[in-house]
Amino acid sequence: MPSHDVLVIGAGLAGQRAALAAAEEGVSVGIISKVHPVRSHSNAAQGGINAALNPGDSWESHAFDTIKGSDYLGDQDAVEIMTREAPEEILHLEHLGVTFHRNEEGKLGTRAFGGASAARTYYVADITGQAIMHVLYEQLMKYSEQIARYEEWFCSSLALDESGECCGVVTRNVADGTMELFQAKSVILCTGGNGQVWQPTTNALICTGDGIAMAYRAGAKLMDMEMIQYHPTTLAGKGFLITEGARGEGAHLLNAKGERFMEKYAPNKMELASRDVVSRAEQTEINEGRGFPDGTVALDITVVPKKRVHEALREIVLVGRDFAGVDITREPIHIKPGNHYTMGGVKTDVDGRTDIPGLYSAGETACVSVHGGNRLGANSLLDTLIFGKRSGRDAAARAKRIDASRPSKKVLEDEEQLIADIVSREKGSGRRISEIKRELGQTMDSKVAVFRDEAGITEALETVRRLKEEAKTAYIDDHGSVFNQDLIAAIELGYMLDNAECTCVAALERKESRGAQYRTDYPERNDEEWLKHIDLEQTDDGPQLSYSEVTITQWEPQERTY
Amino acid sequence: MADYTIKVRRFQPESGEGPYWEEFNVDLDPSLSVLDGLLQAKDRDDGSLAVRCSCRAAICGSCGMKINGQSGLGCKTQIGEAQELADKQASAAGEGGNGTPIVIEPMGNMPVIKDLITDMESTHWTKIRRVTPWLLPHGEPPEREYVVEPESMIDITQSMACIQCGACVSSCLSMEADPGFIGPAALAKAYRFVGDPRDAETKERLHDLAHDPHGIYDCTHCFSCIDACPKGVAPMDQIMRLRRKAGEEGIDDPNSGHDHEIAFVKIIEKKGTLDESLLLQESFAPGFKGKLKPSKRAIREMLGSIPTAIRGIKTGKMRSLHKLIPGVHPKLPDQDDVKAIYAHAEEHSEEFNLYIKGEEGELAEENVEKGIERSTDPDTAQEVKNG
Amino acid sequence: MAENIKVAYWPGCVSRGFTPELHGSMALVAEKLGWELVELDRANCCGAGVIAEHNQELADTLNARTFALAQQTGLSMMNICSTCQGAQSECQQRLDADSAYRAHINEVLSGQGLSYEKDKGGFTNKNFLWLLVEDYGLDRLREQVVRPLSGLRVGPFYGCYIVRPKERLGYGDYPDRDIYLEKVIEALGGEVVEYDGARKCCGFPVITMARETSLRQAGTHVGDAIDAGADCLVTPCPLCHLNLDMQQPEAAKVVNRDLGLAVLHLPQLVGLALGAEPKELGMAKHIASTKWVEERLTGVAA
Repeated sequence: MPSHDVLVIGAGLAGQRAALAAAEEGVSVGIISKVHPVRSHSNAAQGGINAALNPGDSWESHAFDTIKGSDYLGDQDAVEIMTREAPEEILHLEHLGVTFHRNEEGKLGTRAFGGASAARTYYVADITGQAIMHVLYEQLMKYSEQIARYEEWFCSSLALDESGECCGVVTRNVADGTMELFQAKSVILCTGGNGQVWQPTTNALICTGDGIAMAYRAGAKLMDMEMIQYHPTTLAGKGFLITEGARGEGAHLLNAKGERFMEKYAPNKMELASRDVVSRAEQTEINEGRGFPDGTVALDITVVPKKRVHEALREIVLVGRDFAGVDITREPIHIKPGNHYTMGGVKTDVDGRTDIPGLYSAGETACVSVHGGNRLGANSLLDTLIFGKRSGRDAAARAKRIDASRPSKKVLEDEEQLIADIVSREKGSGRRISEIKRELGQTMDSKVAVFRDEAGITEALETVRRLKEEAKTAYIDDHGSVFNQDLIAAIELGYMLDNAECTCVAALERKESRGAQYRTDYPERNDEEWLKHIDLEQTDDGPQLSYSEVTITQWEPQERTY
Repeated sequence: MADYTIKVRRFQPESGEGPYWEEFNVDLDPSLSVLDGLLQAKDRDDGSLAVRCSCRAAICGSCGMKINGQSGLGCKTQIGEAQELADKQASAAGEGGNGTPIVIEPMGNMPVIKDLITDMESTHWTKIRRVTPWLLPHGEPPEREYVVEPESMIDITQSMACIQCGACVSSCLSMEADPGFIGPAALAKAYRFVGDPRDAETKERLHDLAHDPHGIYDCTHCFSCIDACPKGVAPMDQIMRLRRKAGEEGIDDPNSGHDHEIAFVKIIEKKGTLDESLLLQESFAPGFKGKLKPSKRAIREMLGSIPTAIRGIKTGKMRSLHKLIPGVHPKLPDQDDVKAIYAHAEEHSEEFNLYIKGEEGELAEENVEKGIERSTDPDTAQEVKNG
Repeated sequence: MAENIKVAYWPGCVSRGFTPELHGSMALVAEKLGWELVELDRANCCGAGVIAEHNQELADTLNARTFALAQQTGLSMMNICSTCQGAQSECQQRLDADSAYRAHINEVLSGQGLSYEKDKGGFTNKNFLWLLVEDYGLDRLREQVVRPLSGLRVGPFYGCYIVRPKERLGYGDYPDRDIYLEKVIEALGGEVVEYDGARKCCGFPVITMARETSLRQAGTHVGDAIDAGADCLVTPCPLCHLNLDMQQPEAAKVVNRDLGLAVLHLPQLVGLALGAEPKELGMAKHIASTKWVEERLTGVAA
């Protein structure tokens, strides 16, 4: 049985950072990833990473922007920690070798980003996430003695010991199909978000909410699952992301009449208002008939100087050219709001601890919460690094304190049986995995997206529950052991359905509009009744609701305008 | 919507059978990708069709493959264009016209695990690790950031753009002939450190890669990696820059790589056009020292070229004096003009990198300055907030 | 299609060095086709990519000089070497991309009474292969064929520098440039032999520094062509010719098999179809015997 002090599941930014932080404490670390680490979706984060590093800036200002951006659902103690530790983390990254953009003096340079009162976004062209993640992977290669990498291993179930503490995980070696039970004193879930529940989404095919579902099934609480961010600028159809950086460099949003419509919704910040505000503005323009026939509005990057486009927005040039047939330096590109980020997730404290001892979570998987009802651009990368680091440290500290628990073999046997069941289903015995997935995605995108109401969410929930039943008989084509992607898709479908169910239940419960949740039947924010988190726990009858307080330190909730 | 036939090179390791071709019929919009086609076939017809993929947007680097013999990303290749290429290749070979199956194979130069999934660990990643792919700074880091030339960070952004997809490795012709070649991906990664002012082992890295017979001088200069790369990294260009920097550091490799480069450059300075026999001689036994004390390798190579020379003389290729005797090659009538060019270029040695500079825009420089100011000046941002 | 082809002609270094048969056959073919070649006898080496590796500005200036000399004649330029095409196109791309850089390069040229002007009079630099297909035309070429190469199975070998990277070799405007050899072979009445190495590397650039890598490539591609049934290869690049023909016996040792496949320069292939005799075209100078090709062609009256 492979055994480590700290086991990190997921090797994106949060996972890699957690692993490095734990290794620094001298414990034995293993990191598991269902794809090669550099394929993790962190590499799609383009725009930049926020930190109040400038002498003229302050972490309080950054914190306030974040809390206001969260529509006051963010836990302010967590936000304070994140913004306070941000400057040090940026410098740490730079020392490791991240190739941050420089100003003329050769020092770290910034760009403007949405929802920010000051330019505090540090970046590498428009490949910031990729650049940071590749440098962290360089460090993983450097410390390969201390950190064991299990690349292309798929985790399917957490293991708890008799006292209910997390002590390991069941994993499948994708290359040859062998199932292993890993033992660990601390397990950190950094498996990213669940964007594939919605179609289309900016998220990669691997973003299927694995960690969120595994934690949920193990009995951990989830929080704020209704808070799903729709990014304002995604390509219609495929859902590809056009970075916020474009708006940061001065691009305009126009409706079909050529009007800069943000004037009506956010007269001060215009295109750089908070993402949920911009998404709703766009959706309103589209719903009220001022959009283009393909259900989009236009992002006009032609107003940005060509040299700047070439320097800092190269990815968008390529995306425009390769996937939309548009030269963004010559004509506007059609975009619409698209599923992008999960603010909610596994409930943790500021050190990544869930309510199951030994189980941690960080990054998009977790909900601390720093993003509350809406995440600011360039705060996600920061979130992954700060809380990845803190989880890693705390997980290592725990490992030093306690003795190892041996997970029972039963967990492994149960998983092997489940898999055998899936593999043995007859062809034609039910629907195909891809069909169920498509129906799920389309349902969620139409009913639990930018604008929601009771009837819609209820229908969606019914559909999800029906699809859960259908998933039990969905058959696969591949019965082999080597690289059986079919089987993995079946397991991932299960994860997605659990995620979807939780989102629907939470969205139905929150009878107000806050951040990314906009209920047309409850269009106002209602601090009196709803300034609280919605938590969910798994029971035999489905998700059970409870509430938890929002921690307020300095900033009393105000009206949120841009 | 259009109909396409994709012809996939499949391999089921557990079947005991060898690789085979399987055709799938798919229908999708011509602007969608070959990957979309594969996923449709996988979703509809056969879930066992194995292909690595994740982001679908040419960022994660998972879906490296060969399409119609060309290495690249499945998600970035439009299926309509792939069809055009397949038809063109068929017509060139004198077969068929339209609707030729689009041929999809796993990446080359790597062992195949299953269908389109290759073993990248043994080839790609092993070679990446060969070049010590982490920053080696000197001493303790500063309190704040290292202060570096802004251009240097922009310069290595080209290498940093690499998504490790392996398309360059797949297309590398040197690696086909010499599997031990360190390869385009790893060498491009090496440049990311050599060009980073914060790395303190520049000379050591260059020395290592220049001396290795499978290193920077094993690149056959075929441009395949430049064509294959979906991110504009241009690995071959990075290899050439490594050669240049190795030369600047005074590294003289035992592969004659540097000597060859200098010999060529000097001959044109003296003669204006190439003196092949002089080039051969100066590559192996350069200058006075090289001839006084030739290396074992030089002797071996020079002796080894004698049979070739004799054949050339026999058939009449190399009968004239100036071909046989190194250095007798005539100068150009305006050789002084050529020399003046050398003097000017050696003074400046400007490296114009199109990836960084881009093609000339229409807007004036001042607009560029204004744009940058507005986005980075906190006061301006404050104005926006208040106003 | 141009009425009469008249170009500023850069013959390159190697065609006047170790592959003199190329220079001679080009002159012969030009005469038969009625092309006027104004030889740039003051022009310098293109650098073959090696000078650019050493000092990019130097390579750009040297080639700017050649372009300027060509522009002085008021004509477009022709080269007969894939390597010249590639090396020069790379430099031209940089020169054309930025007026400030171009002005910097022109600084030293102006002292010599020369200047490279972007797009002056529609100035282009094209390899003989491209000119043949794009400006002269395959139909016209077909009409000139006096001895169709019937039964001659020809394998094309392009040379890296003329097929990659696509984006700077005009493939956007002329997407078929990498199948022109096939088209020409067919127009001349020959039979195309497809084989793996047609657009791969001959290995010439590393012959001094990685001899085995170099000759393994040459040997493999010649071997593959033989296995595919080729009677000969045809190439538009004299540097490729050096590695494929002159080094063929050495390459055979590296790949451990007998080779012995004739390698023709493009003008030689065209010349044969236009009625010229193998000896006139310098085919007797080759290292890999061209006797077999001659045999295949006898019995077909000129």
